[in-house]
Amino acid sequence: MKIVICVKQVPEITNVRVNPETGTLIREGVASILNPFCEYALDHAVKLKAANPEIEIIAVSMGPPQAVSALLRCLELGADRAVLVSDRKFAGADTWATALTLAAVIRKAVPDADLILVGKQAIDGDTAQVGPEIAEILGMAQIMYGVEMSLTPNRKRIRVKREVESGYEVLEARLPALVSASKGEVLRRMPSLADVLSARRKELQAVTAADLDLSENELGLAGSYTQVVKVFPPAPKQGGRKVENLEPAAAANEIAAFLKSEGYVG
Amino acid sequence: MYEIKSHITEAAEFEKIRRVDGFRNITAEFPAYLTDESKFSCQPFDLLFFPKSEAELSAVMGEMARRGIKVTIAGARTGLVGGCVPNQGALVSLENLDRVLALYYDNPSTEWRLKAQCAVSLRAIAAQLAAKSIPDIERCADGLTMLEMDRFRQDPDSYFYPPDPTEMSASLGGTVATNASGARTFRYGPTRDWVRAIRVMLANGEFLDLPRGKYFASPGGEFTVTDTAGNDYPVRIPTYRSPRTKNTAGFFSAPHMDLVDLFIGSEGAFGVITEVTVALLKHTPKISVVQFLASDDDAIALVQALRVDPRIRLDFLEMYSGTAIDLLRDRQRRDAKTVGTPPIPASARSALFFELDFDPTAREVAMEALDAAVRSCGASLADSWAAYEGRELERLKNFRHILPETINATIAERKKQHPGLHKLGTDLAVPDERLADMWAVYQDALAGAGLEWAAFGHIGNNHVHINIMPRDMADLQKALGLYQMFAEKAVAFGGSVSAEHGIGKLKAKFLKTMFSPAEIEEMRAVKRALDPNWLLNPGNIFEE
Repeated sequence: MKIVICVKQVPEITNVRVNPETGTLIREGVASILNPFCEYALDHAVKLKAANPEIEIIAVSMGPPQAVSALLRCLELGADRAVLVSDRKFAGADTWATALTLAAVIRKAVPDADLILVGKQAIDGDTAQVGPEIAEILGMAQIMYGVEMSLTPNRKRIRVKREVESGYEVLEARLPALVSASKGEVLRRMPSLADVLSARRKELQAVTAADLDLSENELGLAGSYTQVVKVFPPAPKQGGRKVENLEPAAAANEIAAFLKSEGYVG
Repeated sequence: MYEIKSHITEAAEFEKIRRVDGFRNITAEFPAYLTDESKFSCQPFDLLFFPKSEAELSAVMGEMARRGIKVTIAGARTGLVGGCVPNQGALVSLENLDRVLALYYDNPSTEWRLKAQCAVSLRAIAAQLAAKSIPDIERCADGLTMLEMDRFRQDPDSYFYPPDPTEMSASLGGTVATNASGARTFRYGPTRDWVRAIRVMLANGEFLDLPRGKYFASPGGEFTVTDTAGNDYPVRIPTYRSPRTKNTAGFFSAPHMDLVDLFIGSEGAFGVITEVTVALLKHTPKISVVQFLASDDDAIALVQALRVDPRIRLDFLEMYSGTAIDLLRDRQRRDAKTVGTPPIPASARSALFFELDFDPTAREVAMEALDAAVRSCGASLADSWAAYEGRELERLKNFRHILPETINATIAERKKQHPGLHKLGTDLAVPDERLADMWAVYQDALAGAGLEWAAFGHIGNNHVHINIMPRDMADLQKALGLYQMFAEKAVAFGGSVSAEHGIGKLKAKFLKTMFSPAEIEEMRAVKRALDPNWLLNPGNIFEE
């Protein structure tokens, strides 16, 4: 049984600032990490493997050559092998072109994938589109925002507890299927030094545009329907109103009157 | 050369220097200046000064000398032995001498150097070097200094200042005055090893400029300082030899010693360090590892195995005793999110924490020697945590900080029942070959006394902090007795009573455990020669 996990390398978002003049992200000195939601997805794959040891976990990432470090992290945390999808021709890909490319990679490199796991979104773009698009392109069922996953005893279906607005629901899908992972109650793991060393001996396959059955106008910028026109930070929040220098009862009245006048309470 | 002349700078007008008069005002307006990280209580003092320049400092020192008022010097007040807590007279806070002065490449030694005033913090140095941006230099108008800065920026490598005492808000001058050390002292030595020059103001308000490698003790063990009025101050260096361990007890002494070394670690006994030049080191990527083991004895054996193999080069080597692991496990059970690491393996009964060079992009990483050492102690690299990305390193750092924090919280809780209670943390170091002996002393005594304790810290330097957590006042009395016994044993093993915290006012009595009355008299003679009226830092090192 094979699980493909699609991962993305992202800037460590807590440190990212926007250049106020150009409106672009300042990436200098910002570390690149494995997208946290991708790490949670990998965590589910590793748990499924612990219950079903014959599972093979294959990590796939599309990105510049340095995205290999995100794949190495996957190999340290339990992936069995990895595929780096990297080519200048992929540059500028929007979510559609990315999904099309990744789907083509899966068809080519892991045609017998039973389950595709993705993070619910990447913390840089926050689009949450690539996973569902891959499922559509490959024509398989998809379940989003999973926090618990298990295979049914005959291993023909995946059962997923997923987050919904009002709480959780449990869904099952016939395999092959695509599931995205939310954070849930994951306590992040940490590889051992033995894991770090053995990750560097695991198979790491390189895939370029020439390896895929896609035409050039389906790749990168040419294959993209959308383009980012501008990136800018949201306007800073205005400071709220402070009720000061009043007796507690008077202050409470003041706040209650404000809440009523603004329609927050009846 | 063993003769050196002091010189003067123009002194500022004394009355214009910012100061606070009277203990009542100081207490009301500047309570933070009444103590330091030791929480040791001060005695009433009358004056608090904030000089902004060497000229102002010189005016303060000159005036205090004329009036015969004793002066305590404060840096960032991060010390643990009350060194900057006044017991009389005046307190001079150096906090405004906080400019980075230069960054330059020293051709003869082929190293980058940083020159800064004494109050620049280690955190500021670390951040500015990492960003390759030093605002003080970028603002200065000096062409040559800016040129060097450009050269530094264009250097493809990055650089750091290796000494790493846990408290990064410490001031550079303070760390030189105390010869501060930290985890990375294991590989890079203490502050002393990185100081290339200092500028010191003596008690009489005159300066000494002391580059390393210029002034050495005469064959007879003497230096002579001559002031601008032509008076000679002959200094005879002590005849004792400093222990072969990390040490901050007593003045440094060695045959033909460099005069700069007399001032480093002297806890301000001879002068005020106003400027410091330090060497920087090229940064290389590292991996941090917490290696779990089945017992403390296995951990001690692994320390020895790691130290003897020249193929293994660790930056630091720290220990968590079995009792410390139990505390952390308990904390994890109650509050897994705060600890932020996966569960500690059930089989772990001790752990070592170390760091070594590691290129994360390399496809082949050889660690056979480390693997063999770990296996020889009955453990496996599979029973470890490893981190090399910034945020992952932070998780391990947090894991390390959570232990003292947990101990302090436990004591704070018990203090509610027994207000006189406090924790007892040792600061003893012994030479490499006595590590197992010292560990046996600790284990036997602590087990026999039925005390609650945890050990952690710089085991690579045979300098592990034993933290005793007394449950009541009877426990505290037992613990105090053990501390004295431990100190005597450490000295008998050729070690130090104060490996890194210094003597200050809190540990003056331990100096007598380590040095004979004659040796302490030799130290007093040096103090007398350089500060004849005992004006500087009264109560430090020598009990009054």
